[in-house]
Amino acid sequence: MRQRAWGWNPTGRRRWALAVLLLGHLLWMALGRGSSNRWQHLANVLAAPPRAASARWEGWKASRRDKVTDLRQARTELLALRAQVTGLLTAREADAPRVAEADEAIRLLGLKKLLPLAFRAARVVVNVRKAPFGGMILDQGADAGLSPDQGVIAPEGVVGRLWDVGPTESSLLPLDAYNASTGVMLARSRATGVLQGLGPGKAAIRYIGNQEVVQVGEPVFTSGLDRVFPRGLLVGYVSAVLPHDVELHVEVALAAPLDRVGLVLILPAHPQMELQPPAGPPQTAPPGTTGKQAGP
Amino acid sequence: MSSPTGTPLVRRFILALVCLGGIHYAAPWPGPQAVLNTFLVLGLAPGFTSPLAGVAWAAAGGWVLEGTLKMYPHLGGTAFGNMLACLLAFSLILRWPPHTLKAYWGRQAALVIVHALLVHASVRFAAGPHAWGTGWLWSLVLIPAWATLALRLHPPLHRK
Repeated sequence: MRQRAWGWNPTGRRRWALAVLLLGHLLWMALGRGSSNRWQHLANVLAAPPRAASARWEGWKASRRDKVTDLRQARTELLALRAQVTGLLTAREADAPRVAEADEAIRLLGLKKLLPLAFRAARVVVNVRKAPFGGMILDQGADAGLSPDQGVIAPEGVVGRLWDVGPTESSLLPLDAYNASTGVMLARSRATGVLQGLGPGKAAIRYIGNQEVVQVGEPVFTSGLDRVFPRGLLVGYVSAVLPHDVELHVEVALAAPLDRVGLVLILPAHPQMELQPPAGPPQTAPPGTTGKQAGP
Repeated sequence: MSSPTGTPLVRRFILALVCLGGIHYAAPWPGPQAVLNTFLVLGLAPGFTSPLAGVAWAAAGGWVLEGTLKMYPHLGGTAFGNMLACLLAFSLILRWPPHTLKAYWGRQAALVIVHALLVHASVRFAAGPHAWGTGWLWSLVLIPAWATLALRLHPPLHRK
């Protein structure tokens, strides 16, 4: 039996498929010539899910890229800031000695204005005070008109006196040296005595009668009797009072920081002026005081 | 129409697939791409025993070519022209099977011209005016290569 050319048999189905293929293409081409809004709308609807997924994917990549960029910028800024901080710290450490010296110079200038004397400023170039027979060396000597036994003070208090004067430098005998003697007086009782050194940072007042009333924390000033310091310069504070035979053993904590003093003022030789000491004692006793009170 | 034998049909199928991939990857070179498309449409597709299979391969080649060109606002013209040219080549092979190489070259040259005209007309119908290009010239010049390959290496199965 012969098959029909366009019937429902394999040959017919192939022909129908071929015809559909050709006509479909032709229809597609013809529809594409007119308004494509409907097709574009259909294509947009069909493409919406993958477009949304693509947008999310692109957004995620952009966010990640931004994060990486921000992280890199932050790391770069951090490195720059660290370098800047390191530079500032180094500069501050380099400037620290000059700043400290400037502060000390400012205090010295204030003291110089406060006391109407002809001072000469000097710099401590060597400080071996704690060594045996040690002392302090100043950068001024005979060339600056200095002579032995001129008083040396700092803004915090009396430092000592010139011991030996060389051509360009001089040695300083601090107050706490064992062979140093300075005329002093107590702030309250006005009792006078002689301050002798006891070692680093400490000294004791001799020749204070046991009938005197001395309080711990009481300021000690120069008496001016030794003709080295004018009357009224702060020496230190009473740190301990002990009865000892007919006199009191009065220990004094020196006010001047002898370990770290850098700039000092040198008093003129044989100052004649009497200075007015401050009115009252300090409110707090210096550290290390025993709080003991002695009287007659 | 003779019944298909297994191995030549598979080889033809694989070659057509390779040709389709070649059209896709030869997009940066329009000349060789046009030659591959012509070889697929006029050399390989008419050799399938079923005209439906050949036309489908020709249409696929047209869609891949237009998809890689990305020039036309509406696609489908090249595929339609490919299908018509393939049907024409298929009917010619059925009626007058080629016996000599020179005659086959001449027939393929005429088919290249017709194919170019059909494709141009259908693309103009689908997408509007467009440039002719030189792809048809490439195909015409390289007929001794691709037509010989189509005839000798994979002769049409109808000849058996």
